[in-house]
Amino acid sequence: MNQLDTLLLISLITALISGLGRRHQLIGWATAILLTVQFLALLSISSLGYGGTVIESAVNLTILGQPLSWRFDGLSWFFALITIGAAMASSFFAAGIWAKKYKKHGGNPGLLQFAMSLNVFTMLVLLASGDLLSLFIGWELVSWASLLLMVLAGGIATQWGLRYIVYATAGAMSILAGIGIIYHLTGSFAYADLAAAASTFSTTHVVVLSLLFIAGFGVKMGLLPFHLWQAGAYAETPGPGSAFLGAISSRMGLYAMLIVVFQLIGLGKMIAVEIPFTFLSLRDLLMWVAAFTIIFPTYTALRQNDARYLLAWHGIGQGGYMMMGLLLLDPVGSAGGLLHVFNYATNQAALFLAITAVVYRTHTADLNRLGGLVNRMPLTFLVLLVGIIGLAGIPPMNGFVSKWLIYRSLIIEGMPLLFVATVIGTLGTILSVYKLIHNTFLGQLRLEHEHIREVPWSMLAPMLVVATIIFITGFMPGLVLDWVASAQAALGFTPLAYTLGGVETARGSLDMIWLCGVLFGGFGVGALLFYGGGNKAKRVHQLDNYAGGHFLTADTRYHYSNNFYAGLMHHIGGWYRGTFKWLESSLISIVSLLSGLTQILFHSYHPALFLLITATLSLYFFIG
Amino acid sequence: MSNTDLSNIEVNQKPVAKRSNPFANVFNELVSFCRSRSMFMLHYCTGCGAIELPPAMTSRFDMERLGIQPMVTPRQADILLITGYVSIKTLKRVILTYEQMGAPKYVIGICSCTVNGGMYWQSYATAKKLDEYIPVDLYIAGCMPRPEAVIEGLQQLMAKIKTDEANSWKKYYEHYDYYLGNQQHLFGNNWQTPTDIIGEAKTYQLEGPNTLGEHTKILESVQRPLEPLEMKL
Amino acid sequence: MQVTLLTIMEVILMPIVAFIIGLFMVLMMRKLAARLQRRVGPPLFQPLFDIVKLYGKQTQISHGMIHDIGIIMAVGGYVAAEALLPVPGMDGIAAKGGLITLAYLTMVPSLGLALGVGQCANPNGSIGISRALTSMLAYDIPFIIVIFGVAYQFSSTNLVDIIATQQAGGFSTWGISEMPVLAVAGLFAMHASLGKQPFEIYIAPAEIATGPMVEMGGKFLGGLFVMQSFQLYTASVLYVSLFLGGGENWITFLLKSFGVLAIPVVIAYLFPRYRTDDLVRLVWKWPVMLALIGIAFVMN
Ligand code: SF4
Repeated sequence: MNQLDTLLLISLITALISGLGRRHQLIGWATAILLTVQFLALLSISSLGYGGTVIESAVNLTILGQPLSWRFDGLSWFFALITIGAAMASSFFAAGIWAKKYKKHGGNPGLLQFAMSLNVFTMLVLLASGDLLSLFIGWELVSWASLLLMVLAGGIATQWGLRYIVYATAGAMSILAGIGIIYHLTGSFAYADLAAAASTFSTTHVVVLSLLFIAGFGVKMGLLPFHLWQAGAYAETPGPGSAFLGAISSRMGLYAMLIVVFQLIGLGKMIAVEIPFTFLSLRDLLMWVAAFTIIFPTYTALRQNDARYLLAWHGIGQGGYMMMGLLLLDPVGSAGGLLHVFNYATNQAALFLAITAVVYRTHTADLNRLGGLVNRMPLTFLVLLVGIIGLAGIPPMNGFVSKWLIYRSLIIEGMPLLFVATVIGTLGTILSVYKLIHNTFLGQLRLEHEHIREVPWSMLAPMLVVATIIFITGFMPGLVLDWVASAQAALGFTPLAYTLGGVETARGSLDMIWLCGVLFGGFGVGALLFYGGGNKAKRVHQLDNYAGGHFLTADTRYHYSNNFYAGLMHHIGGWYRGTFKWLESSLISIVSLLSGLTQILFHSYHPALFLLITATLSLYFFIG
Repeated sequence: MSNTDLSNIEVNQKPVAKRSNPFANVFNELVSFCRSRSMFMLHYCTGCGAIELPPAMTSRFDMERLGIQPMVTPRQADILLITGYVSIKTLKRVILTYEQMGAPKYVIGICSCTVNGGMYWQSYATAKKLDEYIPVDLYIAGCMPRPEAVIEGLQQLMAKIKTDEANSWKKYYEHYDYYLGNQQHLFGNNWQTPTDIIGEAKTYQLEGPNTLGEHTKILESVQRPLEPLEMKL
Repeated sequence: MQVTLLTIMEVILMPIVAFIIGLFMVLMMRKLAARLQRRVGPPLFQPLFDIVKLYGKQTQISHGMIHDIGIIMAVGGYVAAEALLPVPGMDGIAAKGGLITLAYLTMVPSLGLALGVGQCANPNGSIGISRALTSMLAYDIPFIIVIFGVAYQFSSTNLVDIIATQQAGGFSTWGISEMPVLAVAGLFAMHASLGKQPFEIYIAPAEIATGPMVEMGGKFLGGLFVMQSFQLYTASVLYVSLFLGGGENWITFLLKSFGVLAIPVVIAYLFPRYRTDDLVRLVWKWPVMLALIGIAFVMN
């Protein structure tokens, strides 16, 4: 029983306790505190985040002659940190007064807490997996656990959940096929055997395996074109749940992809694979997939009129940045990709929690029915502001650092078009997050919102903590780059040479400490000019406003929110039409074709393996 | 009209005690100088006189060399040019616009119609004397005055601003009751603007003995609340 | 310690220099406009008179805290950005940030302004911001391609390096002679970023009452005037650093930066205004095409 086992055990106990006691009033706080204990347990193995050696679990199972093993390395630790951190923030947020209201509206907060802690447990199991079989088991556990969280709200959420599970099953099929092929080739599920054998794989094998795994794991990640389930499924989850899902859930796909495709099969080989009739290698193709994953969902987010959907769509888009950074394969880019996992999780958690706070007070997330809330909920506004600056990747928040690394790497590698694609994504993000904050918090306060107040402290505190993390890790990115470097080392990349303030290289450095210092110095000068340089300003009523001499009254709304980017949409609006419908229908036919093929493969090719897999699956159903 | 005619009454010039600090005086003079050399005008174009402004602004006479340039919204402007007769409906907008401008602000009545109604003297729908409703710094008479006259007038105003004499905007705060009374007389007792003149006068210590009175009482009884939306936790 | 102190001194001096030069750039802009329209134009200190007067207004109105903070961010963001832009003899913290950082740091003031305008609750302002962001989306794409090209050409994102490389090699290594096509695209993008005609969609005085500035008076507008002088300075000096070898000394530096700024200004006052969607189409077509061709040359 070592520290890793302790962690997993605590996690299991958390899930059990919150499952059994889900009707109890205090279960929210209990879960939150147990999650904190998990966090502490994770910190006890924090040496992993600073270049420590792999910790093997003492538990070893053997199923049908195949050993199952679990272990934690720098990468697992990094992801586990984000997972538990996001769960803590959501759980504390949901534990207090939010739960009361949720209950009054017919929800079961205990069930939500249970679903979240179960998710954390399954994710830890996945992150700890030590061979392909345990990876697959972990994968399936995660899939079903997140389904539980998604369908909690019932109604439309169930539909989205079902849609998710269709995709997830298809993805699992593809992964299973990949694992089957590997087993056929190497006769083992162990990582080490695969890594050793990978160098002998023929090009065809590399291509087929990579595509199978990337498609399978990409479903969870929301990689284009497998992203259509995600926005709705995350957005319709009850508030804190969507913060948790949005922050980390999809990253499990990235994690598994990193392990199998990047680490074991080896991406280096993909550079060598040329796609016939194009100038692209397989890696380039994947990078373009990542680029489109950035652009399309981001611009879909721009069109959303529901704050939750807007954020959820951004979640898909930001996944593209991580993928892009990691595919760059150099120290700078891969550090950017991994760092973005952390940064994005903090941003998304802050944003979703802030929007949940708005919904808590106003009962709507419709961007056309809000406005002017900054005077009523200033701290929530602050959290949302910090979150959007981070998400958009503008200094001084942390999102800027990870995006900077990715840009820098794209320049070093000389990839102009991909660089432009990522920047287009960033610009789209800026546009849509401004719309988000403008339509909810700025502009005219509606009559019906005159009397609302700031949300209670039990909700504010977690949000503020997350916002502080966003700022501090932007100010001193070195704190996180420590962990990123060990994750890079675990993956086999050359770790990034970093400083506390950022990166120092010969031809282009970044020092956020200086930058933030100068920026806030600048704000100080601005404030001095503003407050010292003129007479004191008198606050006026929002109706005392220029309207060409017209007398404004409260009954007429004049908040500009609908069709916010009319001029832009006039130009690009047509591009949206039908694209996604077409995509989805073509996707379905591909998936059905693939699943048919897999079945044939199993039946005729390797009946014994098929049996084994089925047995494993049913076993897992019993256990799970 | 129950009110005494105020148009000739001088502002209650609180004698601006020359501050003992010479630098403060220099500073004040600098600001006054800059005020006189940088005038943003809101050309709220009523009546016919507006047609004389484009030539005054463009290449023939070029106001910009005097530091005068047109601005769009009252918030940005220093001078309100009333360029001709003011119908009752327009007057409401003129008053709102004037109240939204940031002080120090100056009003110039261009055209005879603003002085005494001009050829619209008998019209039922036209305000006759502009300075019964808002304080006017300068009239430029004529039907209509030529650009030279307009620029001449503006230069006079500049001279007044430079020596800190163009203070009629203070009259509006100090005698608000009088102006409000005239406005109510014209528009009825329900008259109100979304601006908070009394609050402003209080904030900037511009109140005089006649800021409040019977008319502001009427206003208080009908006014929709104008407190700014305070930020609260 | 010595170095840190020196850097701090530079960081303080650079914005002051930038502001003064920026004021003269505003003056030049207005003078040029006047000359093109056969007018005399404003006197020498007109930009300063305007700012002093605006700050000296007696009554000021604010729509709330974010309105104030917006102006602070708009001015402060540029004050900070100037420390990243090397001038002759002073590098500030240019080596600690670099080109990409500068490009993103100049978004901070725009974001601040956008927030401040948002709180004014004036639809004209909101429309203005929506248009401003749209045009940012338009001109930033060619701009970012240009930045990529320059960074790739000099294989550095450090502005100090970029300028040093150009100055060491003389005119033949200047960005403009190495990458003439990119230089044209960059000028186009810079013009669009200044928000002058024909790309003036978000000011549009006759249509949306100066958009973002609609509720700004007194020191709020004064802050925006300060921001404008910084904006002109940043745009032209950045262009000079990327393509014209920066400034060897103050004289060439000033000559180049005023000269560069004069081009878009002269063009601006000869044109009316585009519609938003036309602007997007135009900017996505010509400068992007030019920039891509330029990149193709650079990458070979
Ligand atoms: S004075 Fe003459 S020109 Fe002026 S508004 Fe009256 S009628 Fe028109």
